[in-house]
Amino acid sequence: MQRIVQRDESALAMVYDRYAGMLLSVLNRILRDKQAAEEILQDIFFQLWRSAERFDGSRGSLPGWLVVVGRNRAISRLRHHNPAAGDELNENTVASAFNLEGAVAQQQLLSRINGALENLPVEQRAAVELAYFEGLTHSEIAERTGDPLGTVKTRLRSALETLRRTLHTSAESGIGTT
Amino acid sequence: MNGHPTREEDFDLYALGALEGEEKQAIESHLAGCRDCARKLAEAQGRIALLALAAPPTPPSAAVKQRLMSQIRADSERTASERDAPARPLPERAQGFFGSWWTAVLVPVGAALAIATVFLWNEDRQLNRQLEALHSTVRLEQQQLDQERQVADLLAASDTITIRLAQQPGMPAGSGQVSYNPKTGMLMYDGALAPAPANKSYQLWLVPVDGKPISAGVFNPAFGLPNHWMIGLPAGTAPKAFAVSLEPAGGMPQPTGPMVLVGPVS
Repeated sequence: MQRIVQRDESALAMVYDRYAGMLLSVLNRILRDKQAAEEILQDIFFQLWRSAERFDGSRGSLPGWLVVVGRNRAISRLRHHNPAAGDELNENTVASAFNLEGAVAQQQLLSRINGALENLPVEQRAAVELAYFEGLTHSEIAERTGDPLGTVKTRLRSALETLRRTLHTSAESGIGTT
Repeated sequence: MNGHPTREEDFDLYALGALEGEEKQAIESHLAGCRDCARKLAEAQGRIALLALAAPPTPPSAAVKQRLMSQIRADSERTASERDAPARPLPERAQGFFGSWWTAVLVPVGAALAIATVFLWNEDRQLNRQLEALHSTVRLEQQQLDQERQVADLLAASDTITIRLAQQPGMPAGSGQVSYNPKTGMLMYDGALAPAPANKSYQLWLVPVDGKPISAGVFNPAFGLPNHWMIGLPAGTAPKAFAVSLEPAGGMPQPTGPMVLVGPVS
């Protein structure tokens, strides 16, 4: 990041090469429109270039920040929201015990995340995907699936508890950790 | 909410965006004044962000990086020209006989120097632009060389296998070919398929001998998405077959639709 602050274009290119694939995958999954996803991808990296000095590496993880900001923007576009431009570099502090910097680490975590999602009951997994990839709230998921609101809340809470336990185990065993 | 959220999942639910109304407001009003809970929320944001990895892999087009690098280069030039522009007026010169005499000498000299400075500055900018253009060309050529070297390495390796994918009955017309090295996990796909139906994408899968299929790319010729690419998969995965399936647009974590092309590994 220090090199990006010093306007080193090759440093931004390196960060782009490392994370653009991961970020575009989630943007495209949310929007299901590769052209729109690539517009947001370019915009986020340009924002990083313009405002790199305001990114406090000690407060958060860069790939985590990229994903959180990217997801928020993609969901806003999906839902035709046009929120006022916020100070995303300061607003989204994303701490992560996991290392997403290398392809191998990403692959290890990918296997663990996919494994954890596949082991969830189908309804729980569907609820997580509707919330994460479509940005739906509890009541919107209930409306979409036709399930009672209380059931949806319980499913989502149980799913997140399972995922948290799985990731905790990964962190303890050193999978994809920093 | 007067006290701290009682369960860890409250932070995950908030980070996921599932909370709404009073539940959301309660946690927001508490977070504003509680450093410990703000830290827990940051950790939850990190956990939830990992769900991004579950999205089907979508490699960016090379054009996006080119546009981004052009954009930041233009931004750098604009910033540099703003920084170099004169910021304040020159002080007034002395008046009177000597003032006039020196003025008579210095003004033409100053003007000549200013012209020379502008000329040299312009020259410098043009040279910088040419240098940047050369750097950009070299970088692009280096990337192409790297890609070509990867392709050559993959195809030259004695343990790389090449599998032809055959069209399945009743499916869109086309064919494909996969070159895969189980030792390194590098895979190259090259194929030709009719555009996918509306709201659908094609997705390439490696079907391992053990375990569930692994996505190796989502594509749709209808939107100009590439019909050939390289991707790194987990090294050491022994394949049973490769297949292209028809999935909802954007792809799925596991195959759900009909198989369009299939190539068993003998």
